[in-house]
Amino acid sequence: MKLHRIKALFLRHLYPLKRDFDLLSDMLYWPLVDTLLWGITSQWLSEASGQASIALAILMALLLWNIIWRAQSEVSRNLIDEIWNNNLVNIFSTPLMVREWLFSVMSLSVLKTIFTLSVITTVVVGMWSANILFFGWWLIPFILAMVTTGWWVGFLSAGIILRYGPKMQTVVWTLPGMLLPFSAVFFPLERFPEALQYVSRIVPTTYIFETMRTIAAGGAVDWGTLSMSFVFNFLYLGLALWYFVSSFRYSTKLGLGRFN
Amino acid sequence: MIDSPLVVHNLTKIFPPEKKGGRPFTAVDDISFKLREGQILGLLGPNGAGKSTTISMLLGTLSPTFGSIRYFDKDFAKHKSESLQHVTFASTYIKMPWRLTVWENLKIYGTLYDVQGKVFDQRMERFLNFFGVWQQRHKTMNLLSAGQVTRIMLAKAFLPYPKIVLLDEPTASLDPDIAHQVREFVKLQRQEYGVSILYTSHNMEEVTDVCDEVMFLKHGQIVAVDKPLNLARSVKTARMRLLVKDGLKRTQKFAKAQALPVSIEGREVIIEIDEQAIAQFLEKLAAEKISYSQIAVDKPTLEDYFLQMSKD
Repeated sequence: MKLHRIKALFLRHLYPLKRDFDLLSDMLYWPLVDTLLWGITSQWLSEASGQASIALAILMALLLWNIIWRAQSEVSRNLIDEIWNNNLVNIFSTPLMVREWLFSVMSLSVLKTIFTLSVITTVVVGMWSANILFFGWWLIPFILAMVTTGWWVGFLSAGIILRYGPKMQTVVWTLPGMLLPFSAVFFPLERFPEALQYVSRIVPTTYIFETMRTIAAGGAVDWGTLSMSFVFNFLYLGLALWYFVSSFRYSTKLGLGRFN
Repeated sequence: MIDSPLVVHNLTKIFPPEKKGGRPFTAVDDISFKLREGQILGLLGPNGAGKSTTISMLLGTLSPTFGSIRYFDKDFAKHKSESLQHVTFASTYIKMPWRLTVWENLKIYGTLYDVQGKVFDQRMERFLNFFGVWQQRHKTMNLLSAGQVTRIMLAKAFLPYPKIVLLDEPTASLDPDIAHQVREFVKLQRQEYGVSILYTSHNMEEVTDVCDEVMFLKHGQIVAVDKPLNLARSVKTARMRLLVKDGLKRTQKFAKAQALPVSIEGREVIIEIDEQAIAQFLEKLAAEKISYSQIAVDKPTLEDYFLQMSKD
């Protein structure tokens, strides 16, 4: 891997931020709208139920969900952006290696996630005095798990687009959306229909959101539950990377020029 | 020193059927060729001949079904990144991100090849000035004309001191004066740096002017490789124009009787005839008492060769 090529891809995806409202709205506008909406809703629910932990759990869930969204978006959207710009052949007819592209989009996703997260956290803490630091060191595994989930969702959708073409580009938005209900983001898993709980148990984020709610309610962390999240996450990340690389190879069999 | 920085051997591309039960399509069929150092090799052929498929395989954006590509004596399949450090391309049909400025786009490409800092600045200033697009450097790509984009693509291709450049119709959307400028630039790059160039174009005059040799593709196969003038000379039929004072219809009838393709434009009769048979034909014409005031013989050109070869 060469640092200058990774730098080039950073420039490629950071330069448009200077003048592209689409990208800025993805990074700032929608996360802020979500934060305001859920912040007020959670405060109302908290007051109505008399349980302060509800507000904290919902706001924390919102923060964590934004991490997944941003992390996956940077991977799959960066690919679709090259297709929209007729630039895929330009990029991959240079010395750039696929692993350098993978590393770059993963790094970019972390960078942009930190940015979005900083803004949302400031609003959440400032407006509703939600004590995010209440979760202490648990924030590290939570964030790590969310970023990993975002990556594998991103690589999976990017792989689908490479294999089946831009007609499947909707997966960039629908795939993470599909994960949302099964992850039990805003409600406990037990509230989910029993049959669907089986699906939720193979979704790694479920364990994170469950653990987060347990901590918010003052309960003890179950290490087994938390580790299940990482087992599934790393398994899926490995599979998604394999799928992406295999889709890339498949795509070069048909020619990257077909996306122009 | 490597005499041929690019060696292609038995290169074949068979695309799978588009629909179930369909037939696979052979776009490139067992082609072998070499690109010598400092050579400008024309790649010609009618639409669907396999030119773009060949270029895509040479760029690594399309994988071959069989055969090998060797850049600088190394297997391209195994040394892709290393090879592409010295191989670039420009095409009229590929664009750059439209939200980025010319300078930003070129900066990204320069960085990909590790051409950065002052070297990048100096080189870009030189190239963009040469192509007359220096003033456009801070404009986003969507604000440029097709011709300006083409020139930016050329600047991109020559930015990282390439040893091989693949040019896919580099002058297709350019005005004649700019196209001439591009041709001069290409020749200058070859002269100064010994760059080897694979050149596709539909402008036969341009190919004759620029290319040392031409490789003609048809149905995915190489059907001829020679110097442009030799290929033109291989066409036996010349176009003879006679300005006929009296006997226009008789001339036409006479040519038709000899099974020669003939057409009339005003007072001019145009006859397609083997160069060797012209003298004999004129003698017979005189015997028929048909007089003409002017005669012109258009020598076969590469375009004639192209048209002849493109016929099925």
